[in-house]
Amino acid sequence: MCDACGCDGTSSKVLEINQSLLAANNAMAEKNRIHIESLGAVAINMISSPGSGKTTLLEKTIDVLGEELRIGVIEGDIETERDAERIRAKGVPVVQLTTGGACHLDAALTHRGIHELESQLSGKKLDLLFIENVGNLVCPATFYLGEHRRLVIISVPEGPDKPAKYPRAFIGSHVFIISKTDLMPYFDFSIDYITDDALRLNPELRVMALSSTSGEGFESWISWLRSLCIRTV
Amino acid sequence: MHELSLVQGLLSQLESLARQHKTSSIRIVRVEIGQFSGIVVDSFQFAFEVLAKESFLMKNAELEIRVPPMQYKCFQCQNVLVVDNEPPAMCSKCQSTLLVPDGGDGVILLQVEMD
Repeated sequence: MCDACGCDGTSSKVLEINQSLLAANNAMAEKNRIHIESLGAVAINMISSPGSGKTTLLEKTIDVLGEELRIGVIEGDIETERDAERIRAKGVPVVQLTTGGACHLDAALTHRGIHELESQLSGKKLDLLFIENVGNLVCPATFYLGEHRRLVIISVPEGPDKPAKYPRAFIGSHVFIISKTDLMPYFDFSIDYITDDALRLNPELRVMALSSTSGEGFESWISWLRSLCIRTV
Repeated sequence: MHELSLVQGLLSQLESLARQHKTSSIRIVRVEIGQFSGIVVDSFQFAFEVLAKESFLMKNAELEIRVPPMQYKCFQCQNVLVVDNEPPAMCSKCQSTLLVPDGGDGVILLQVEMD
């Protein structure tokens, strides 16, 4: 006899589960969030296609804010240390996570990254932690890592149709950055059109258009980052 | 491709359910995938077939995927509209055209039928 339900064990048994397949990931992500907060940081998960300018945006941001805020970076890539080397050259603590083929970071891998970063910090605190996800506009959007804010980036050369094609990345984000605006003269790209499409999916998105090369629009990005780090105590 | 990691997670959850309920065979697994979850139903099904074959517990298991209709909420009057695929052009109550996806971003293990 089955000691769980008392049946004779021959008939089938139906278990009602009703639990998200992401429950284990999300539980780990909540722990990550507590861990990140214990380091004093606000974490930002950056999601975009490959080549939309995530690492360049980080480099320029560190140039502007590096003296004023304590910044740490977790880099996610399928292979290579290259992005971490670029960030390390800016003199901030950085950990490279390589997924070895997987198309996204998950909470367990991020957890490892936070520990590695913490050992580099040797007791020092952070203000901002950037988590640069694997370049991919689809898969990373499904996995909560424990971040406080999520950022989706589309660069001008990618075209203005991306919100409609990749809705999940926009529905789950807080900020939408249109990058490489210095290339606007060479592409048929409408900021109004893409902004309208993105806000239809998520009316609470904060939209910023900027160029890491020319510095155009950078001020609102920097003041948004500063506003995240204002201490209430 | 993240469907593969989600299915791996599902299979390890099923293995622990099977241990807990002392069964050696799972018959049916029922999963709900929202249309805004960013998960491709065919890829999920394919990953399940490939991975389940390798497991004694799951080798005869059938995966049933339910995809609920999409829901949109009117940003003006909060009216909820249910549609099968295309987003509605305007709100049936207040005619506003700002309709926002409402839910549909989940992937949920609903039921497991076992011997």
